[in-house]
Amino acid sequence: MSFVTAFQPILLVSSSSSSPRFCHCPSLPLQPHCSPTLTFSSNKVLLGARAKPASTRISNIRCFSALTPELKSTLDKVVTSHKVVLFMKGSKDFPQCGFSNTVVQILKSVNVPFETINILENEILRQGLKEYSSWPTFPQLYIDGEFFGGCDITVEAYQSGQLQEVLEKAMCS
Amino acid sequence: MGVTKEQVESSLKAKLNPSHLEVIDTSGGCGASFEVQIVSEQFEGKRLLERHRMVNSALEEEMKQIHALSVKKAVTPEQWKQQQDSNKSNPAA
Repeated sequence: MSFVTAFQPILLVSSSSSSPRFCHCPSLPLQPHCSPTLTFSSNKVLLGARAKPASTRISNIRCFSALTPELKSTLDKVVTSHKVVLFMKGSKDFPQCGFSNTVVQILKSVNVPFETINILENEILRQGLKEYSSWPTFPQLYIDGEFFGGCDITVEAYQSGQLQEVLEKAMCS
Repeated sequence: MGVTKEQVESSLKAKLNPSHLEVIDTSGGCGASFEVQIVSEQFEGKRLLERHRMVNSALEEEMKQIHALSVKKAVTPEQWKQQQDSNKSNPAA
C-alpha cells in the first residue's frame, strides 16, 4: 500500500496536460522521493536526494512546476561551471542509454574536458532540466553555458565539423 | 499503448506542412521510439537547434508517451534537393 501511495503523485502529474512531462524511460524506476539538494562548490557539482514525507508532496502537486527559481539559479551556475557540461543518463564511464553514450563517445573523441551529470539520480533535476532547456529528452549538451542540443544535433554537428569549431571557440574564450 | 506512426505523421503534417516526411517506428511495436526525416519550407533560415525545437513542439502531445525521438534530418526543400542530387551523382556515398 505504501508503494502505491508513494507513486501516486507521479501518476497525477503524468496525466495532467498542463504539467511538466515525464520521460517514460522503461529501464529505470521513477524516484518520487527525490527533492533537489543540488549544491554547488568551486568546481564540483554535488547531487543528492532528500526524503520528504508523502503528505507534503501530495499537497504540492497541483501547482507543481519542476523548475523552481532556486533550481533555475543553481542550473545557471552548473551550466557555466565548466566549458562543456553534459546532462545524461548514467555516467561518463557507465552510460545507461545509447543516446547518452553516443555523445560521451563524441566528446571523448574530440578530446575536450567535460563534466557529466547523471539525471537518473534526481527526478526533480531531470524534470526541471526539461523546462530549463526547453528540451524534452536526454542527453542535453551545454557548451559555454549555452544549450547546444541533444544527441542528433551533436552527431550532425560532429560530422559537419561544426561541433569542433564551437568547442574550440569555447575553449579559447 | 504508445503513439502510432500515423499520429506522429499527422501532427507533423498539420504543424510543419512538410514537402517530404518519413517516420519510422523504431520501438519494435510499443510506439515509444521514432525516427523522423522531415523536409519543410518552415525550416528556412532556422538553425538546426531551432528546427529540432520546432519538431519537438509539433509533437508536444505525443512526446509525453515517446521515450526516444530521433530527428535524423530536418532540412529545407532546397537542401533536400541538393542532397538527393548529390546522392544520385555519387551512389556509393
